[in-house]
Amino acid sequence: MQADGSGMPKRRKDRPLEGVRVVDFTWVRAGPWAARWLATLGAEVIKVEWPENMDMLRQNRFTVPPGVEPGPNSTGQFADTNAGKLGLSINVRHPKGLEAIKSLISVSDVVIENFSSRIMTRWGLGYDELKKLRPDVVYVSMAGFGQTGRQHYFGTMGPAAQALSGLTHQSGLPGQQPAGWGWSYLDDTGGMYGAMCALTALRHRNQTGQGQHVDLSQMITGITLTGSAFLDKSINGRESRREGYPPGNRTVWPGAPVVHNYRGPIAAPHNAFRTKETHDGGYNDWCVIACLSDDEWSGLVSLMGEPAWAKDGKFATLVGRLEHQDEMDQGIEKWTKTMGKYDLADKCQAAGVRAMPVQSSEDRVENDPQLKHRGMFTQVKHPMLGDWKFQGAPFRLGGEKVAVKGPPPMIGQHTTKIMGDLLGVTSEELLQGYEEGVYWPETTPKFPYILQAIDEEAKR
Amino acid sequence: MTSGNDMAGPLSGLRVLELTNEQAQFCGKLMADLGADVIKIEPPGGQATRNVGPYLDDEAHPEKSLSFWHYNTSKRGVTLDLNTSEGQNVFRKLASNAGLVLESFPAGHLPGLGLGYESLSKDNPELIMCSVTPFGQDGPWRDYQTSDLLHLAAGGQMASSGYDVEDIPDAPPIAPGGGNAWHIASHYSYIAIMGALYHRDFTGEGQYIDVSVHEACSLTTEGAIAIYLSTGDVVRRHTGRHASPDMSPGIQHATNDGGFINTTRSGSNLTPARIKVLGEWMDKYGLAQDLLDDKYQDPAVVEVSGQHFADVLKNFFANMPLVEAYEGGQELNFPWGAIRTMEEIMGDPHLQDRDFFVPVEHPELGREFTYPGPAAIYNASPWRISRRAPLIGEHNEEILGGEVGLSQADLAELKKSGII
Repeated sequence: MQADGSGMPKRRKDRPLEGVRVVDFTWVRAGPWAARWLATLGAEVIKVEWPENMDMLRQNRFTVPPGVEPGPNSTGQFADTNAGKLGLSINVRHPKGLEAIKSLISVSDVVIENFSSRIMTRWGLGYDELKKLRPDVVYVSMAGFGQTGRQHYFGTMGPAAQALSGLTHQSGLPGQQPAGWGWSYLDDTGGMYGAMCALTALRHRNQTGQGQHVDLSQMITGITLTGSAFLDKSINGRESRREGYPPGNRTVWPGAPVVHNYRGPIAAPHNAFRTKETHDGGYNDWCVIACLSDDEWSGLVSLMGEPAWAKDGKFATLVGRLEHQDEMDQGIEKWTKTMGKYDLADKCQAAGVRAMPVQSSEDRVENDPQLKHRGMFTQVKHPMLGDWKFQGAPFRLGGEKVAVKGPPPMIGQHTTKIMGDLLGVTSEELLQGYEEGVYWPETTPKFPYILQAIDEEAKR
Repeated sequence: MTSGNDMAGPLSGLRVLELTNEQAQFCGKLMADLGADVIKIEPPGGQATRNVGPYLDDEAHPEKSLSFWHYNTSKRGVTLDLNTSEGQNVFRKLASNAGLVLESFPAGHLPGLGLGYESLSKDNPELIMCSVTPFGQDGPWRDYQTSDLLHLAAGGQMASSGYDVEDIPDAPPIAPGGGNAWHIASHYSYIAIMGALYHRDFTGEGQYIDVSVHEACSLTTEGAIAIYLSTGDVVRRHTGRHASPDMSPGIQHATNDGGFINTTRSGSNLTPARIKVLGEWMDKYGLAQDLLDDKYQDPAVVEVSGQHFADVLKNFFANMPLVEAYEGGQELNFPWGAIRTMEEIMGDPHLQDRDFFVPVEHPELGREFTYPGPAAIYNASPWRISRRAPLIGEHNEEILGGEVGLSQADLAELKKSGII
């Protein structure tokens, strides 16, 4: 499968994509997250960057740890999002840079990018060009609205894509503005789809020898995640702007018509409840409880110690519980507030009642016994951040945990290695490229590791 | 070059046995619409996910669940009671030449029936088996009962989603609707399966994949974990925008026709040049306020005026209809989003241009319905809904008879004894 003559690489069972090379033009979150999973699965992912147009995540001020010198190589969010990649800094707008990129593509399997539509074509790197360089290349574009369609040039960031796709409207309390999603869900998920598209097209290539352009749209990805609401509208004609919708954390809002609100089976109780305050004013001291049957409700009632209010016949049936949700939920919360959220969830689960704590980021890192047991985080040495916890894969392959392949690249960290070892550029040409602003902007100060790499070339 | 309809999907040739509930049926759909031959194996009488609404014409019926319809397109369906030795034998035959078994039984259930990976792969070493469970195959929470809501609580989605205290005091953390815990798990399952397929293409080796819904959700809160690891800060919930350690300008604004628009950070993180573009446009409506004032050509002034710009925008939107405001902004290169509902999405011309609205025939009803299309266009191997979701046991004869080779008499006997 390797057309670059490097021969069949050695494959290890825990990294199924070893031998696949990816040219990663992506930036911010969705695209880099896509390529991050290709790297985690074993691909050699080369992140192409240019310091004058820095990846936003390299500038994320929220994630520079105290005591670490701020800079593009110092942000925690970039680190996790780009773990296991190699870093190439190159000016694609310089003729020599473009030439180098073209030779890189000719020895690569996948090209992935999340620019606005048709930017690559403007650079002379549209699919028709890529195909000439590498006939069976897999090209995944991740534009907000896709590469075709009358609004292909519309731009998105996660929250805008979520809004346009219908996802935002599915989240919130009825009669209020939407709460939406408190993060770029469609950057995370758009990233998943970017990886899925690349992997699917690679599979197709293995079977047929044929590459292709996969044209992904971040916004449309969101619509495909609203299937039940979509069919309820297209088939039943049900309006989304309706009384009691979206129903908060419930399946049906009290007093509103009993219709399906796309949260699984209609059930009550089905809500978030306050638990005993531990810290931060109880900001995340919440748990959720869902009783999906009358039996599960009976289990909760006996766990609560059979309080008189809960024994009232009006709560015996689902219809009654839906109708009297406010009273029921208040009763339940009186009980949940008497204990901590983990204690509560453990007790409920032991009694066959569905309950889980609302977990903050801190909880998931420090307090979640399951994530700890499964080894969700792996400590990896990072040149600026020191020993750093990286998120692993949520799956085991052949019984083995799948951790990140390594730390993220410092910007331009592997330029000389990639250019020299992989593409056969001579030291002389490399040095000249640095002089001419091909591999690093002439006006941007060079980091010590860049100077060192240049120095090593000069000594050759 | 063949036309779209003649080309095979990218996963054609892959046979999948799917034994899933809500946790992973979406993963099966993703593969089926891309050309895999997905056989959904349900217990006699049908899978419980058929009892999830909404239903066609609001009539609760296992053949009329729109939720089931959506999540099971392009699959064929058989019924089989895996708790009987006859059912197990039929399943073994199916598994002996399948490429993938995708299952979401409680951890340990299939091995308990003698149908675990070790056993099935003896006859078929190329077999890939993917188990999708709430917490994975081991650990202290392994046997905990869950639901979509419970996963969004434990996974961190709720801790990031909700309202500013200023907007709604005492608002709870909010779990976004739509069943996304299962979507998230299905996406990671799909990725793991594709990795295993790639590996098998080169080595001929199958393998076992153990997916945890909880871990998949825990990975899906963007920067929340990185912020905590970097600074120890826990994010606060903000209306319609990123949870973050500090307060940030509002980016979600009401329009004069009852809608809402989300400007993303591009509404407040402005440069002097962009303020000019914005001001000139808003001035046409007499709503620019002071945005064209020369002082905003000074980056230092802009730097400290984020909240003011948010206020000016808020007033602008309050006097504009939703779609005009959103499209006008997009034409000027502001990546804004109207908060659309299904009402606005149906018939959207851009989506039509991309053939997103897919007619699917339901021959048993003599009707055709519109389904959502794909997230991505595969230019050389198209996505396609090849059939509507299977009826209960619809392909028993075709698959168990024709393909597994059971005789009519065998089938009749299995049917009589309630095994299919």
